[in-house]
Amino acid sequence: MEPAATLGYLGGLLAFLAGVGGFAVFLDWLKGKEEDEKTTGWHPPQSSECQPGSRRDPTGWQRYFRFTMDHKVIGIQYLVTTLVVFIVAGIMAILMRLELARPGMQFLSHDSYNTVMGLHGISMIVVALIGIMGALGNFTVPLMLGSKDMAFPRVNALSYWILPPAVIILLSTLVTGGFDTGWTAYAPLSVKGPIGKLFFLLAFVSVGFSSIFGSVNFLATILGLRTKGMTLFRMPIFVWGILSAGVIVLLATSVVASSLIMVIFDRVLGTAFFDPSRGGNALLFQHLFWFYSHPAVYIMILPAFGVILEILPVFSRKPLFAYPLAALSFIAIVVISFIVWAHHLFTSGMWDLLSIPFMVTTELISVPTGVVFLSALGTLWLGSIRLKVPMLFALGFLFNFLIAGLTGIFLADVPTDLHLHDTWFVVAHFHFTLMGGAVFAFFAGIYYWFSKMTGRMLNEQLGKLHFWLFLVGLNATFIPMFWAGTQGMRRRVGDFPQELASVQLWISLAAILTVVAVTVFLYNLVQSWVKGEPSLSNPWDSRTLEWQVASPPPR
Amino acid sequence: MAKSIPILGGLTFLFSLLLFKIIWGIGMMPLAASYEAAFVDQAFDGMLKVTIPIFSLVLATLLYCLHQFRAQSGSLEEGVRFHGSRGGLVEVLWIATSLVLTLGLAAFGAKELRAIRGGDQADLDVQVNSSQWSWEFFYPSRNEYGSRLILPKGKRVRFLLTSKDVVHSFWVPEFRVKQDALPGKVVKLFLTPTKIGTYQLLCAELCGTEHTAMTAFVEVVEPEDFDRRMKGEAW
Repeated sequence: MEPAATLGYLGGLLAFLAGVGGFAVFLDWLKGKEEDEKTTGWHPPQSSECQPGSRRDPTGWQRYFRFTMDHKVIGIQYLVTTLVVFIVAGIMAILMRLELARPGMQFLSHDSYNTVMGLHGISMIVVALIGIMGALGNFTVPLMLGSKDMAFPRVNALSYWILPPAVIILLSTLVTGGFDTGWTAYAPLSVKGPIGKLFFLLAFVSVGFSSIFGSVNFLATILGLRTKGMTLFRMPIFVWGILSAGVIVLLATSVVASSLIMVIFDRVLGTAFFDPSRGGNALLFQHLFWFYSHPAVYIMILPAFGVILEILPVFSRKPLFAYPLAALSFIAIVVISFIVWAHHLFTSGMWDLLSIPFMVTTELISVPTGVVFLSALGTLWLGSIRLKVPMLFALGFLFNFLIAGLTGIFLADVPTDLHLHDTWFVVAHFHFTLMGGAVFAFFAGIYYWFSKMTGRMLNEQLGKLHFWLFLVGLNATFIPMFWAGTQGMRRRVGDFPQELASVQLWISLAAILTVVAVTVFLYNLVQSWVKGEPSLSNPWDSRTLEWQVASPPPR
Repeated sequence: MAKSIPILGGLTFLFSLLLFKIIWGIGMMPLAASYEAAFVDQAFDGMLKVTIPIFSLVLATLLYCLHQFRAQSGSLEEGVRFHGSRGGLVEVLWIATSLVLTLGLAAFGAKELRAIRGGDQADLDVQVNSSQWSWEFFYPSRNEYGSRLILPKGKRVRFLLTSKDVVHSFWVPEFRVKQDALPGKVVKLFLTPTKIGTYQLLCAELCGTEHTAMTAFVEVVEPEDFDRRMKGEAW
């Protein structure tokens, strides 16, 4: 059953790619039509098939559903996909909050709670991974560098078109037995059980491949296609965020893919990597998994830092404070991020003495992160601050991420982590990091670049409403979780003791605010996209290159 | 610049005081019922004492900037252009301070960890067998099994954690220290219960369908009652 399902998925993936036109160029080559050397070289945008209106690159709305190579189209494809996955993850979150509003199990079984929780987790991981880098990065980076397109437009389209099948097979786990492992898929739990777990693993591996393709493209574009005179230390700080995240994706993703593929081998081919009774090692999975999955946090956060440090100077009307230092701190985060993974294993039964060096390296990461804060505060200092919506979200990011970073120190410290590990303290911490951090920066970026993408402005009043509801809702939801965690609320359980009933009810009620906030945002987005006020090409009076072309940019 | 220092200092002090009052007033940690818990709580309090002033300082600076440097609506004024502090003094101080603080915290953490782990000697061995989704306790010195964990107060216990299937985690919030049980391996954990009472043992590592329900009762009794209590419970 499982081998057939695996092969079936791979076949389906290829068929899907063929269906959207991914192999058309190879078929033409086989038929002897149109030798296409230029796309394999360094200057792809000149090749004939990328020209607007050509057979394989239609204009109009159809291009959003084809294997289109224009980076601006791919950026919008990523944006819409991210929002769809975000809505799915939000629905899962609502289901969890309804279940957790009262003690006892209300309407979900233990098993379906686990699946809903795992789907929420992995969907939000995908949102945080592709939201800023895939959507905003694809749209703006080539423009910011003065390049006509990404270095490898076809690889760019490939990295996007792997995602829809992956999302579909991920959601199919709801009807194929679910997966009760959470998004971390710890072996040996993930080795046994229903076929839904296999589908989850296949989806995860697919997303991994997609992000490797994306990162190769970003690295090649940023290192090779900068316009004349744009040295590395003259690039916009956002490009530094994408560059450093790209390095982590390239070096680390293959490791998590290998760990997941080893689980798939254990399931499908009968190997025993993680089965101790046949000479395997259960702890091995955790090391391989976190070797990627902790740096993955920086894949999500470095582009977010980039967005925030890009926006603060524009709305403070002065240059970024200590720009070279901020760029260097990104590099420092990349380097250190590779030697911190075992702070997820302090309670795992790993050799105790190993905990100490990992505690030191983890706490060291707060030094470059502190530099980012210094850069942000120094930019505000003596500025002429305008509180437009992108700026509000950037400031909200600073507040949330301050809480996220400081509570992270409690988890980096071995003695306190022995108590806090796998509790709601961790849940609150990483929601401040990813929801208060990555998602806040994603929203900041959307409010900032929306007019460049669509030629229309988002509604300012609705944007402000969205900001305040979201900021208050987020803090009211997650701050009590720190307390619940220290009191003994475990992660990933569908039930809790009576003593926590009132705080749980409060959290469920506060979560309503974030739901309302996101609804306001989606309404604003759709409404402004259709009939928003037309915008000038540079409404914020920014200095970077993407604002020096028309909105939306010509092809 | 000079006039901002007393304001920032005052705000930082005020915010810190407020946060300390609130957090200590609520009480973050549950009852501490083991010798090791005292060290964890001490480390936790130490962390709060470092992080709360940092939080307050950054928040004060942020609010000060927003109040002081906010442009009037419709103003076309530019900010004062500078790329860094004079001589890089602020940058160097900021990095040096954060470096010293983090290394200090790490050293403090390492010291506390040593105190929590203690030596290898113990008064009582208990083998904890975990499986999907239940706990079972075996006392080798008495050759007895139990489904309820009974511990004598004030005795250092060596838990030998094993798992029959997937990864589980042994956690009694009142004892603080948490430890995973791995299949194919025996993991040791040392704890000294110090308060009489009944607590709950929770599985803290997602282990499948009934993970939520994988709990057991823990009873800490006077050492002289231990024998009697065990007779009533063992099977």
